[in-house]
Amino acid sequence: MDFLGEGLHRALQLISSVDPEVYGIALLTVKVAVVATLIACALGMPLGFVLASRRFWGRRAALTVVNTALAFPTVVVGLLLYGLLSRRGPLGGLGWLYSWQAIVIGDVILAFPIAAALSAAAVQGVDPRIRRTAETLGAGTWRTAWTVAREARFALAAVITAAFGQVVAEVGAAMIVGGNIRGSTRTLTTAVALYTAQGDFGLALALGIILLVMALVVNVALQLLQGRGSA
Amino acid sequence: MLELAGVRHAYEGRVVLDLERFTVAPGALIAIVGHNGSGKSTLLRLLALVERPTAGEVRWDGAVVSSPRLRPRAPARRRITLVEQRPMLFRGTVRENLAFGLVARGRRGAEAQNTIERVADRLGVTSLLARQRHELSDGEVQRVAVARALAVAPDVLLLDEPVSSADRAAAQALYAALAEERRARGLAICLASHQLEDAYRWADDIRALAEGRLSPVTPENLFRVELPAGAETKHVRVGPIGIAVTTAREGPAILAVPPTDIFVSTAPIVSSARNVFSGQVTRLGRPRPGVVHVTADVGIELIAVITEEAARDLGLAPGSPVTFAFKASAVRVF
Repeated sequence: MDFLGEGLHRALQLISSVDPEVYGIALLTVKVAVVATLIACALGMPLGFVLASRRFWGRRAALTVVNTALAFPTVVVGLLLYGLLSRRGPLGGLGWLYSWQAIVIGDVILAFPIAAALSAAAVQGVDPRIRRTAETLGAGTWRTAWTVAREARFALAAVITAAFGQVVAEVGAAMIVGGNIRGSTRTLTTAVALYTAQGDFGLALALGIILLVMALVVNVALQLLQGRGSA
Repeated sequence: MLELAGVRHAYEGRVVLDLERFTVAPGALIAIVGHNGSGKSTLLRLLALVERPTAGEVRWDGAVVSSPRLRPRAPARRRITLVEQRPMLFRGTVRENLAFGLVARGRRGAEAQNTIERVADRLGVTSLLARQRHELSDGEVQRVAVARALAVAPDVLLLDEPVSSADRAAAQALYAALAEERRARGLAICLASHQLEDAYRWADDIRALAEGRLSPVTPENLFRVELPAGAETKHVRVGPIGIAVTTAREGPAILAVPPTDIFVSTAPIVSSARNVFSGQVTRLGRPRPGVVHVTADVGIELIAVITEEAARDLGLAPGSPVTFAFKASAVRVF
Protein backbone atom coordinates (compact mmCIF):
# COMPACT_ATOMS: atom_id res chain seq x y z
CA MET A 1 0.00 0.00 0.00
CA ASP A 2 2.90 2.37 0.82
CA PHE A 3 4.19 1.70 -2.61
CA LEU A 4 0.91 2.87 -4.16
CA GLY A 5 0.59 5.84 -1.80
CA GLU A 6 4.12 7.03 -2.53
CA GLY A 7 3.47 6.64 -6.23
CA LEU A 8 0.30 8.70 -6.02
CA HIS A 9 2.06 11.40 -3.98
CA ARG A 10 4.83 11.67 -6.58
CA ALA A 11 2.28 11.72 -9.38
CA LEU A 12 0.46 14.70 -7.86
CA GLN A 13 3.79 16.47 -7.30
CA LEU A 14 4.76 16.03 -10.96
CA ILE A 15 1.42 17.24 -12.21
CA SER A 16 1.26 20.28 -9.90
CA SER A 17 4.86 21.30 -10.62
CA VAL A 18 4.10 21.42 -14.38
CA ASP A 19 6.97 19.09 -15.23
CA PRO A 20 7.99 19.98 -18.83
CA GLU A 21 8.73 16.38 -19.81
CA VAL A 22 5.38 15.12 -18.52
CA TYR A 23 3.49 17.88 -20.30
CA GLY A 24 5.49 17.37 -23.50
CA ILE A 25 4.46 13.71 -23.50
CA ALA A 26 0.84 14.63 -22.77
CA LEU A 27 0.73 17.19 -25.56
CA LEU A 28 2.15 14.73 -28.10
CA THR A 29 -0.43 12.17 -26.98
CA VAL A 30 -3.24 14.67 -27.47
CA LYS A 31 -1.92 15.62 -30.91
CA VAL A 32 -1.61 11.99 -32.05
CA ALA A 33 -5.00 11.02 -30.58
CA VAL A 34 -6.93 13.94 -32.07
CA VAL A 35 -5.37 13.61 -35.54
CA ALA A 36 -5.80 9.81 -35.61
CA THR A 37 -9.40 9.98 -34.31
CA LEU A 38 -10.33 12.61 -36.90
CA ILE A 39 -8.81 10.61 -39.77
CA ALA A 40 -10.27 7.28 -38.58
CA CYS A 41 -13.75 8.79 -38.15
CA ALA A 42 -13.56 10.72 -41.43
CA LEU A 43 -12.84 7.45 -43.25
CA GLY A 44 -14.72 4.94 -41.10
CA MET A 45 -18.00 6.73 -40.50
CA PRO A 46 -18.91 7.19 -44.19
CA LEU A 47 -18.05 3.52 -44.76
CA GLY A 48 -20.29 2.55 -41.84
CA PHE A 49 -23.02 4.68 -43.33
CA VAL A 50 -22.75 2.96 -46.71
CA LEU A 51 -22.62 -0.50 -45.14
CA ALA A 52 -25.74 0.23 -43.12
CA SER A 53 -27.85 2.00 -45.70
CA ARG A 54 -27.00 0.51 -49.11
CA ARG A 55 -27.64 -2.98 -50.39
CA PHE A 56 -24.86 -4.17 -52.69
CA TRP A 57 -23.03 -7.33 -53.60
CA GLY A 58 -20.37 -8.16 -51.00
CA ARG A 59 -21.94 -6.02 -48.26
CA ARG A 60 -22.15 -8.87 -45.77
CA ALA A 61 -18.54 -9.85 -46.47
CA ALA A 62 -17.44 -6.24 -45.97
CA LEU A 63 -19.31 -6.07 -42.66
CA THR A 64 -17.65 -9.31 -41.56
CA VAL A 65 -14.20 -7.97 -42.46
CA VAL A 66 -14.81 -4.73 -40.57
CA ASN A 67 -16.14 -6.56 -37.52
CA THR A 68 -13.20 -8.97 -37.56
CA ALA A 69 -10.77 -6.05 -37.80
CA LEU A 70 -12.10 -4.85 -34.44
CA ALA A 71 -10.07 -7.61 -32.86
CA PHE A 72 -6.86 -6.81 -34.76
CA PRO A 73 -3.95 -7.13 -32.25
CA THR A 74 -2.15 -3.82 -31.91
CA VAL A 75 1.31 -5.40 -31.99
CA VAL A 76 0.48 -7.11 -35.28
CA VAL A 77 -0.57 -3.76 -36.74
CA GLY A 78 2.70 -2.31 -35.44
CA LEU A 79 4.68 -5.15 -36.96
CA LEU A 80 3.06 -4.87 -40.40
CA LEU A 81 3.41 -1.10 -40.37
CA TYR A 82 7.04 -1.45 -39.34
CA GLY A 83 7.57 -3.65 -42.42
CA LEU A 84 5.95 -1.05 -44.65
CA LEU A 85 7.74 2.00 -43.20
CA SER A 86 11.22 0.53 -42.60
CA ARG A 87 13.91 1.71 -44.95
CA ARG A 88 13.63 -1.39 -47.16
CA GLY A 89 9.81 -1.39 -47.04
CA PRO A 90 7.52 -0.06 -49.81
CA LEU A 91 6.85 3.16 -47.87
CA GLY A 92 10.40 3.54 -46.58
CA GLY A 93 10.95 6.58 -48.78
CA LEU A 94 8.61 8.61 -46.59
CA GLY A 95 11.08 8.44 -43.72
CA TRP A 96 8.23 8.19 -41.22
CA LEU A 97 9.48 5.26 -39.12
CA TYR A 98 9.97 6.41 -35.51
CA SER A 99 7.94 9.56 -36.13
CA TRP A 100 4.61 10.73 -34.67
CA GLN A 101 3.09 10.31 -38.15
CA ALA A 102 3.87 6.58 -37.98
CA ILE A 103 2.02 6.35 -34.65
CA VAL A 104 -0.94 8.18 -36.21
CA ILE A 105 -1.06 5.67 -39.11
CA GLY A 106 -1.00 2.74 -36.70
CA ASP A 107 -3.74 4.31 -34.58
CA VAL A 108 -5.87 5.05 -37.66
CA ILE A 109 -5.60 1.41 -38.76
CA LEU A 110 -6.82 0.33 -35.32
CA ALA A 111 -9.57 2.95 -34.88
CA PHE A 112 -10.92 2.78 -38.46
CA PRO A 113 -12.79 -0.55 -37.96
CA ILE A 114 -14.25 0.80 -34.71
CA ALA A 115 -15.53 3.92 -36.49
CA ALA A 116 -16.92 1.87 -39.40
CA ALA A 117 -18.51 -0.99 -37.46
CA LEU A 118 -20.03 1.11 -34.70
CA SER A 119 -21.36 3.80 -37.03
CA ALA A 120 -22.90 1.05 -39.21
CA ALA A 121 -24.65 -0.23 -36.09
CA ALA A 122 -25.68 3.33 -35.15
CA VAL A 123 -27.21 3.99 -38.57
CA GLN A 124 -28.93 0.60 -38.62
CA GLY A 125 -30.53 1.59 -35.33
CA VAL A 126 -32.27 4.59 -36.90
CA ASP A 127 -35.88 3.96 -37.88
CA PRO A 128 -35.90 3.31 -41.67
CA ARG A 129 -38.84 5.70 -42.02
CA ILE A 130 -36.45 8.61 -41.35
CA ARG A 131 -34.43 7.83 -44.48
CA ARG A 132 -37.56 7.16 -46.55
CA THR A 133 -39.18 10.38 -45.34
CA ALA A 134 -36.10 12.45 -46.16
CA GLU A 135 -35.97 10.88 -49.62
CA THR A 136 -39.64 11.28 -50.34
CA LEU A 137 -39.41 14.96 -49.39
CA GLY A 138 -36.77 15.35 -52.08
CA ALA A 139 -33.51 15.18 -50.12
CA GLY A 140 -30.46 14.08 -52.07
CA THR A 141 -27.88 11.56 -50.86
CA TRP A 142 -25.97 13.97 -48.59
CA ARG A 143 -29.00 15.65 -47.03
CA THR A 144 -30.55 12.24 -46.39
CA ALA A 145 -27.32 11.02 -44.76
CA TRP A 146 -27.14 14.18 -42.64
CA THR A 147 -30.79 13.74 -41.56
CA VAL A 148 -30.16 10.13 -40.53
CA ALA A 149 -26.93 11.18 -38.74
CA ARG A 150 -28.84 13.80 -36.75
CA GLU A 151 -31.22 11.11 -35.54
CA ALA A 152 -28.30 8.84 -34.61
CA ARG A 153 -26.26 11.62 -33.00
CA PHE A 154 -25.95 9.98 -29.56
CA ALA A 155 -24.75 6.69 -31.01
CA LEU A 156 -22.39 8.50 -33.40
CA ALA A 157 -20.93 10.53 -30.51
CA ALA A 158 -20.30 7.22 -28.79
CA VAL A 159 -18.46 6.07 -31.93
CA ILE A 160 -16.11 9.06 -31.68
CA THR A 161 -15.58 8.39 -27.98
CA ALA A 162 -14.80 4.72 -28.63
CA ALA A 163 -12.37 5.59 -31.45
CA PHE A 164 -10.63 8.16 -29.25
CA GLY A 165 -10.49 5.64 -26.41
CA GLN A 166 -8.80 3.08 -28.66
CA VAL A 167 -6.29 5.61 -29.96
CA VAL A 168 -5.38 7.21 -26.66
CA ALA A 169 -4.89 3.86 -24.91
CA GLU A 170 -2.95 2.18 -27.70
CA VAL A 171 0.59 1.06 -26.80
CA GLY A 172 1.73 -1.88 -28.96
CA ALA A 173 1.85 -0.24 -32.38
CA ALA A 174 3.04 3.10 -30.93
CA MET A 175 5.96 1.35 -29.29
CA ILE A 176 7.00 -0.53 -32.46
CA VAL A 177 6.64 2.20 -35.10
CA GLY A 178 7.17 5.20 -32.80
CA GLY A 179 10.17 3.78 -30.99
CA ASN A 180 9.31 5.55 -27.69
CA ILE A 181 11.98 8.19 -28.34
CA ARG A 182 12.26 10.77 -25.56
CA GLY A 183 11.10 14.21 -26.65
CA SER A 184 10.00 12.92 -30.04
CA THR A 185 7.66 9.91 -30.10
CA ARG A 186 7.12 9.16 -26.44
CA THR A 187 3.38 9.05 -25.75
CA LEU A 188 1.66 8.60 -22.40
CA THR A 189 1.11 4.88 -22.88
CA THR A 190 4.61 4.07 -24.11
CA ALA A 191 6.07 6.23 -21.32
CA VAL A 192 3.97 4.42 -18.70
CA ALA A 193 5.25 1.09 -20.01
CA LEU A 194 8.86 2.34 -19.97
CA TYR A 195 8.83 3.99 -16.52
CA THR A 196 7.05 1.02 -14.97
CA ALA A 197 9.77 -1.25 -16.39
CA GLN A 198 12.42 1.11 -14.99
CA GLY A 199 10.77 1.06 -11.56
CA ASP A 200 9.79 4.77 -11.62
CA PHE A 201 6.31 3.99 -10.41
CA GLY A 202 5.41 7.56 -9.43
CA LEU A 203 6.15 8.97 -12.86
CA ALA A 204 4.29 6.10 -14.52
CA LEU A 205 1.31 6.69 -12.26
CA ALA A 206 1.36 10.45 -12.94
CA LEU A 207 1.22 9.78 -16.64
CA GLY A 208 -1.55 7.23 -16.10
CA ILE A 209 -3.60 9.81 -14.19
CA ILE A 210 -3.14 12.37 -16.97
CA LEU A 211 -4.31 9.73 -19.46
CA LEU A 212 -7.46 9.09 -17.44
CA VAL A 213 -8.14 12.82 -17.07
CA MET A 214 -7.82 13.25 -20.84
CA ALA A 215 -10.33 10.47 -21.45
CA LEU A 216 -12.66 12.03 -18.89
CA VAL A 217 -12.41 15.49 -20.47
CA VAL A 218 -13.22 14.12 -23.93
CA ASN A 219 -16.23 12.18 -22.60
CA VAL A 220 -17.57 15.14 -20.65
CA ALA A 221 -17.13 17.41 -23.69
CA LEU A 222 -19.06 14.99 -25.90
CA GLN A 223 -21.79 14.59 -23.30
CA LEU A 224 -22.15 18.37 -23.07
CA LEU A 225 -22.46 18.56 -26.85
CA GLN A 226 -25.11 15.83 -26.80
CA GLY A 227 -26.97 17.68 -24.06
CA ARG A 228 -27.07 20.84 -26.14
CA GLY A 229 -28.49 18.92 -29.08
CA SER A 230 -31.00 16.83 -27.19
CA ALA A 231 -34.03 19.02 -27.93
CA MET B 1 -48.22 9.61 -65.49
CA LEU B 2 -46.79 7.34 -62.77
CA GLU B 3 -46.86 3.67 -63.62
CA LEU B 4 -45.72 0.28 -62.31
CA ALA B 5 -45.05 -2.25 -65.05
CA GLY B 6 -44.54 -5.97 -64.45
CA VAL B 7 -43.64 -5.33 -60.83
CA ARG B 8 -42.93 -8.20 -58.49
CA HIS B 9 -41.61 -7.40 -55.08
CA ALA B 10 -40.35 -9.88 -52.52
CA TYR B 11 -38.98 -9.69 -48.99
CA GLU B 12 -36.56 -12.52 -48.22
CA GLY B 13 -37.97 -14.60 -51.06
CA ARG B 14 -41.64 -14.08 -50.13
CA VAL B 15 -43.56 -12.29 -52.90
CA VAL B 16 -45.65 -9.50 -51.35
CA LEU B 17 -46.64 -7.66 -54.51
CA ASP B 18 -47.28 -8.91 -58.02
CA LEU B 19 -48.77 -6.33 -60.38
CA GLU B 20 -48.84 -6.48 -64.15
CA ARG B 21 -49.73 -2.80 -64.38
CA PHE B 22 -50.72 -0.05 -61.98
CA THR B 23 -51.14 3.53 -63.14
CA VAL B 24 -51.70 6.86 -61.44
CA ALA B 25 -52.94 9.36 -64.01
CA PRO B 26 -52.43 13.11 -63.50
CA GLY B 27 -55.09 14.48 -61.15
CA ALA B 28 -56.45 11.01 -60.29
CA LEU B 29 -57.98 10.30 -56.89
CA ILE B 30 -57.36 6.63 -56.21
CA ALA B 31 -58.10 4.57 -53.12
CA ILE B 32 -56.30 1.29 -52.63
CA VAL B 33 -58.30 -0.90 -50.33
CA GLY B 34 -57.41 -4.20 -48.78
CA HIS B 35 -56.83 -5.85 -45.46
CA ASN B 36 -53.64 -5.54 -43.46
CA GLY B 37 -50.81 -7.35 -45.21
CA SER B 38 -52.43 -7.12 -48.64
CA GLY B 39 -49.45 -5.16 -50.00
CA LYS B 40 -50.83 -1.59 -49.86
CA SER B 41 -47.87 -0.06 -48.03
CA THR B 42 -45.34 -1.84 -50.24
CA LEU B 43 -47.15 -0.61 -53.33
CA LEU B 44 -47.02 2.98 -52.06
CA ARG B 45 -43.31 2.72 -51.20
CA LEU B 46 -42.55 1.49 -54.72
CA LEU B 47 -44.66 4.28 -56.24
CA ALA B 48 -42.87 6.79 -54.00
CA LEU B 49 -39.49 5.56 -55.29
CA VAL B 50 -38.17 4.99 -51.78
CA GLU B 51 -37.91 1.27 -52.44
CA ARG B 52 -36.86 -0.51 -55.64
CA PRO B 53 -38.90 -3.42 -57.01
CA THR B 54 -37.31 -6.87 -56.99
CA ALA B 55 -38.45 -7.19 -60.60
CA GLY B 56 -40.16 -4.84 -63.05
CA GLU B 57 -40.08 -1.09 -63.54
CA VAL B 58 -41.52 2.13 -62.21
CA ARG B 59 -42.04 4.68 -64.97
CA TRP B 60 -42.80 8.38 -65.06
CA ASP B 61 -44.28 9.52 -68.37
CA GLY B 62 -42.91 6.34 -69.96
CA ALA B 63 -39.32 6.82 -68.74
CA VAL B 64 -37.98 4.23 -66.29
CA VAL B 65 -37.20 5.92 -62.95
CA SER B 66 -36.77 2.87 -60.72
CA SER B 67 -35.93 -0.76 -61.34
CA PRO B 68 -33.80 -3.48 -59.72
CA ARG B 69 -30.80 -1.97 -61.49
CA LEU B 70 -31.74 1.71 -61.44
CA ARG B 71 -31.62 3.63 -58.20
CA PRO B 72 -34.19 6.45 -58.27
CA ARG B 73 -32.67 9.93 -58.46
CA ALA B 74 -33.76 12.85 -56.31
CA PRO B 75 -35.27 14.86 -59.25
CA ALA B 76 -37.70 12.00 -60.02
CA ARG B 77 -38.53 11.52 -56.34
CA ARG B 78 -39.31 15.22 -55.96
CA ARG B 79 -42.50 14.87 -57.99
CA ILE B 80 -43.96 12.21 -55.68
CA THR B 81 -44.35 12.40 -51.91
CA LEU B 82 -45.36 9.66 -49.51
CA VAL B 83 -46.90 10.03 -46.07
CA GLU B 84 -46.42 6.74 -44.25
CA GLN B 85 -49.01 5.08 -42.05
CA ARG B 86 -47.17 5.99 -38.87
CA PRO B 87 -45.27 9.02 -40.11
CA MET B 88 -42.10 10.22 -38.42
CA LEU B 89 -41.18 13.81 -37.85
CA PHE B 90 -37.56 14.87 -37.89
CA ARG B 91 -35.82 16.27 -34.86
CA GLY B 92 -36.73 19.94 -34.49
CA THR B 93 -39.86 22.03 -34.52
CA VAL B 94 -42.95 21.51 -36.64
CA ARG B 95 -41.94 24.61 -38.65
CA GLU B 96 -38.51 23.06 -39.37
CA ASN B 97 -40.26 19.87 -40.45
CA LEU B 98 -42.52 21.75 -42.84
CA ALA B 99 -39.45 23.54 -44.22
CA PHE B 100 -37.49 20.31 -44.83
CA GLY B 101 -38.65 19.58 -48.37
CA LEU B 102 -38.51 23.26 -49.33
CA VAL B 103 -34.89 23.57 -48.13
CA ALA B 104 -34.05 20.39 -50.07
CA ARG B 105 -35.30 22.25 -53.16
CA GLY B 106 -33.23 25.33 -52.33
CA ARG B 107 -36.30 27.33 -51.30
CA ARG B 108 -35.79 29.49 -48.24
CA GLY B 109 -36.77 32.94 -47.04
CA ALA B 110 -40.11 34.71 -47.21
CA GLU B 111 -41.55 32.62 -50.05
CA ALA B 112 -40.84 29.38 -48.18
CA GLN B 113 -42.30 30.83 -44.98
CA ASN B 114 -45.47 31.83 -46.86
CA THR B 115 -45.82 28.28 -48.16
CA ILE B 116 -45.37 26.90 -44.64
CA GLU B 117 -47.98 29.27 -43.22
CA ARG B 118 -50.41 28.36 -46.02
CA VAL B 119 -50.19 24.56 -45.62
CA ALA B 120 -50.15 24.83 -41.83
CA ASP B 121 -53.36 26.83 -42.02
CA ARG B 122 -54.93 24.38 -44.45
CA LEU B 123 -54.19 21.39 -42.19
CA GLY B 124 -54.97 23.26 -38.97
CA VAL B 125 -51.48 22.96 -37.51
CA THR B 126 -50.60 26.68 -37.28
CA SER B 127 -50.74 26.58 -33.48
CA LEU B 128 -48.26 23.68 -33.47
CA LEU B 129 -45.53 25.36 -35.55
CA ALA B 130 -43.21 26.08 -32.62
CA ARG B 131 -43.64 22.67 -30.99
CA GLN B 132 -41.11 19.84 -30.93
CA ARG B 133 -42.11 16.42 -32.25
CA HIS B 134 -42.34 14.84 -28.79
CA GLU B 135 -44.94 17.45 -27.80
CA LEU B 136 -47.47 16.23 -30.41
CA SER B 137 -50.18 13.57 -30.28
CA ASP B 138 -50.29 10.82 -32.92
CA GLY B 139 -53.13 12.57 -34.73
CA GLU B 140 -51.20 15.86 -34.76
CA VAL B 141 -48.10 14.09 -36.10
CA GLN B 142 -50.21 12.69 -38.92
CA ARG B 143 -51.58 16.13 -39.83
CA VAL B 144 -48.12 17.71 -39.68
CA ALA B 145 -46.78 14.94 -41.91
CA VAL B 146 -49.50 15.61 -44.50
CA ALA B 147 -48.82 19.36 -44.29
CA ARG B 148 -45.08 18.67 -44.75
CA ALA B 149 -45.86 16.61 -47.85
CA LEU B 150 -48.19 19.26 -49.30
CA ALA B 151 -45.61 22.01 -48.70
CA VAL B 152 -43.42 20.63 -51.49
CA ALA B 153 -46.35 20.71 -53.95
CA PRO B 154 -45.88 17.20 -55.38
CA ASP B 155 -47.54 16.04 -58.60
CA VAL B 156 -48.52 12.81 -56.84
CA LEU B 157 -49.33 12.55 -53.15
CA LEU B 158 -49.33 9.05 -51.67
CA LEU B 159 -51.05 8.56 -48.32
CA ASP B 160 -50.89 5.36 -46.31
CA GLU B 161 -53.86 5.16 -43.93
CA PRO B 162 -53.78 8.94 -43.47
CA VAL B 163 -56.47 9.06 -40.78
CA SER B 164 -55.55 5.97 -38.76
CA SER B 165 -54.80 8.11 -35.68
CA ALA B 166 -57.55 10.68 -36.22
CA ASP B 167 -61.06 10.81 -34.82
CA ARG B 168 -63.97 11.11 -37.23
CA ALA B 169 -64.05 14.93 -37.22
CA ALA B 170 -60.27 15.21 -37.70
CA ALA B 171 -60.46 12.69 -40.55
CA GLN B 172 -63.18 14.72 -42.27
CA ALA B 173 -61.12 17.88 -41.86
CA LEU B 174 -58.06 16.20 -43.31
CA TYR B 175 -59.94 14.88 -46.32
CA ALA B 176 -61.57 18.27 -46.84
CA ALA B 177 -58.12 19.93 -46.79
CA LEU B 178 -56.85 17.42 -49.35
CA ALA B 179 -59.86 18.02 -51.58
CA GLU B 180 -59.27 21.77 -51.37
CA GLU B 181 -55.59 21.38 -52.24
CA ARG B 182 -56.53 19.15 -55.15
CA ARG B 183 -59.01 21.70 -56.45
CA ALA B 184 -56.36 24.40 -56.16
CA ARG B 185 -53.67 22.65 -58.17
CA GLY B 186 -54.89 19.33 -59.52
CA LEU B 187 -52.44 16.95 -57.88
CA ALA B 188 -53.02 13.20 -58.08
CA ILE B 189 -53.75 11.51 -54.76
CA CYS B 190 -53.42 7.81 -54.11
CA LEU B 191 -54.47 6.70 -50.64
CA ALA B 192 -54.34 3.31 -49.03
CA SER B 193 -57.05 2.54 -46.56
CA HIS B 194 -58.72 -0.41 -44.97
CA GLN B 195 -61.73 1.80 -44.22
CA LEU B 196 -64.04 1.34 -47.17
CA GLU B 197 -66.29 4.23 -46.17
CA ASP B 198 -63.34 6.60 -46.53
CA ALA B 199 -62.36 5.10 -49.85
CA TYR B 200 -65.84 5.41 -51.29
CA ARG B 201 -66.40 8.83 -49.86
CA TRP B 202 -63.25 10.40 -51.25
CA ALA B 203 -61.93 8.46 -54.21
CA ASP B 204 -63.01 8.37 -57.85
CA ASP B 205 -61.25 5.11 -58.49
CA ILE B 206 -61.20 2.22 -56.03
CA ARG B 207 -58.70 -0.57 -56.48
CA ALA B 208 -58.73 -3.62 -54.25
CA LEU B 209 -55.53 -5.38 -53.32
CA ALA B 210 -55.53 -8.94 -52.00
CA GLU B 211 -52.41 -11.03 -51.36
CA GLY B 212 -50.34 -8.53 -53.32
CA ARG B 213 -52.47 -8.69 -56.45
CA LEU B 214 -55.15 -6.42 -57.82
CA SER B 215 -58.43 -8.10 -57.03
CA PRO B 216 -61.18 -8.06 -59.68
CA VAL B 217 -63.78 -7.92 -56.89
CA THR B 218 -63.98 -4.64 -55.06
CA PRO B 219 -64.63 -5.50 -51.43
CA GLU B 220 -67.60 -3.22 -50.85
CA ASN B 221 -69.85 -3.57 -47.83
CA LEU B 222 -67.45 -5.70 -45.80
CA PHE B 223 -68.01 -6.01 -42.07
CA ARG B 224 -66.01 -7.81 -39.42
CA VAL B 225 -68.49 -9.53 -37.08
CA GLU B 226 -68.87 -12.18 -34.39
CA LEU B 227 -71.38 -14.80 -35.54
CA PRO B 228 -73.49 -16.26 -32.73
CA ALA B 229 -74.08 -19.99 -32.36
CA GLY B 230 -77.49 -21.47 -33.00
CA ALA B 231 -80.14 -20.78 -35.62
CA GLU B 232 -79.44 -20.98 -39.34
CA THR B 233 -80.59 -17.39 -39.92
CA LYS B 234 -78.69 -15.14 -37.55
CA HIS B 235 -79.09 -11.50 -36.70
CA VAL B 236 -75.68 -9.93 -36.43
CA ARG B 237 -75.11 -6.47 -35.02
CA VAL B 238 -73.15 -4.16 -37.34
CA GLY B 239 -72.93 -0.72 -35.77
CA PRO B 240 -76.47 0.40 -34.90
CA ILE B 241 -78.26 -2.08 -37.21
CA GLY B 242 -78.76 -5.85 -37.24
CA ILE B 243 -78.08 -7.76 -40.45
CA ALA B 244 -79.83 -11.07 -41.03
CA VAL B 245 -77.50 -13.69 -42.50
CA THR B 246 -78.01 -17.35 -43.38
CA THR B 247 -75.03 -19.38 -42.30
CA ALA B 248 -74.13 -22.33 -40.11
CA ARG B 249 -70.84 -20.69 -39.15
CA GLU B 250 -70.15 -19.16 -35.81
CA GLY B 251 -67.40 -17.05 -34.28
CA PRO B 252 -65.37 -14.29 -35.94
CA ALA B 253 -66.17 -13.76 -39.63
CA ILE B 254 -66.37 -11.16 -42.36
CA LEU B 255 -69.74 -10.41 -43.94
CA ALA B 256 -69.92 -9.16 -47.51
CA VAL B 257 -73.09 -7.69 -48.96
CA PRO B 258 -72.67 -7.71 -52.75
CA PRO B 259 -73.72 -4.25 -54.00
CA THR B 260 -75.47 -5.78 -57.00
CA ASP B 261 -77.74 -7.82 -54.67
CA ILE B 262 -79.18 -4.74 -52.98
CA PHE B 263 -82.59 -3.52 -54.12
CA VAL B 264 -82.92 0.25 -54.04
CA SER B 265 -86.23 1.99 -53.51
CA THR B 266 -87.46 5.44 -52.62
CA ALA B 267 -90.66 4.02 -51.08
CA PRO B 268 -90.93 1.62 -48.11
CA ILE B 269 -90.51 -2.01 -49.24
CA VAL B 270 -92.61 -4.91 -48.08
CA SER B 271 -90.93 -8.06 -49.34
CA SER B 272 -89.45 -11.38 -48.40
CA ALA B 273 -86.04 -9.77 -47.94
CA ARG B 274 -84.96 -10.06 -44.30
CA ASN B 275 -82.78 -6.99 -44.48
CA VAL B 276 -84.62 -3.73 -45.12
CA PHE B 277 -82.96 -0.47 -44.05
CA SER B 278 -83.99 3.12 -44.64
CA GLY B 279 -81.73 6.13 -44.73
CA GLN B 280 -80.40 8.87 -46.96
CA VAL B 281 -78.30 8.89 -50.12
CA THR B 282 -74.87 10.33 -49.25
CA ARG B 283 -73.13 9.99 -52.59
CA LEU B 284 -73.69 8.97 -56.18
CA GLY B 285 -70.69 7.70 -58.10
CA ARG B 286 -70.42 6.83 -61.78
CA PRO B 287 -67.36 4.56 -62.16
CA ARG B 288 -68.26 3.80 -65.80
CA PRO B 289 -71.02 4.78 -68.20
CA GLY B 290 -74.43 3.30 -67.40
CA VAL B 291 -73.51 2.25 -63.84
CA VAL B 292 -74.27 4.19 -60.67
CA HIS B 293 -72.87 3.48 -57.20
CA VAL B 294 -75.42 4.61 -54.62
CA THR B 295 -73.89 5.17 -51.20
CA ALA B 296 -76.44 5.53 -48.42
CA ASP B 297 -76.26 6.07 -44.70
CA VAL B 298 -78.70 3.56 -43.22
CA GLY B 299 -77.07 3.59 -39.81
CA ILE B 300 -73.97 2.18 -41.44
CA GLU B 301 -72.71 3.09 -44.87
CA LEU B 302 -73.85 0.69 -47.61
CA ILE B 303 -73.20 0.80 -51.32
CA ALA B 304 -75.57 -0.48 -53.97
CA VAL B 305 -74.91 -0.74 -57.69
CA ILE B 306 -77.79 0.10 -60.02
CA THR B 307 -78.16 1.16 -63.64
CA GLU B 308 -78.15 4.78 -64.76
CA GLU B 309 -81.71 4.31 -65.97
CA ALA B 310 -82.90 3.06 -62.55
CA ALA B 311 -81.18 5.94 -60.81
CA ARG B 312 -82.92 8.37 -63.14
CA ASP B 313 -86.33 6.74 -62.66
CA LEU B 314 -85.95 6.85 -58.88
CA GLY B 315 -84.78 10.47 -59.04
CA LEU B 316 -81.87 9.78 -56.68
CA ALA B 317 -79.70 12.62 -55.48
CA PRO B 318 -77.50 13.16 -52.41
CA GLY B 319 -79.84 13.70 -49.48
CA SER B 320 -82.78 11.72 -51.01
CA PRO B 321 -84.54 9.29 -48.67
CA VAL B 322 -83.86 5.74 -49.78
CA THR B 323 -84.53 2.15 -48.71
CA PHE B 324 -82.05 -0.68 -49.28
CA ALA B 325 -83.20 -4.32 -49.17
CA PHE B 326 -81.33 -7.60 -49.54
CA LYS B 327 -81.94 -11.24 -48.67
CA ALA B 328 -80.28 -12.93 -45.73
CA SER B 329 -79.04 -15.56 -48.19
CA ALA B 330 -77.37 -12.87 -50.32
CA VAL B 331 -74.95 -12.00 -47.52
CA ARG B 332 -71.67 -13.81 -48.01
CA VAL B 333 -69.65 -15.02 -45.08
CA PHE B 334 -65.83 -15.30 -45.14
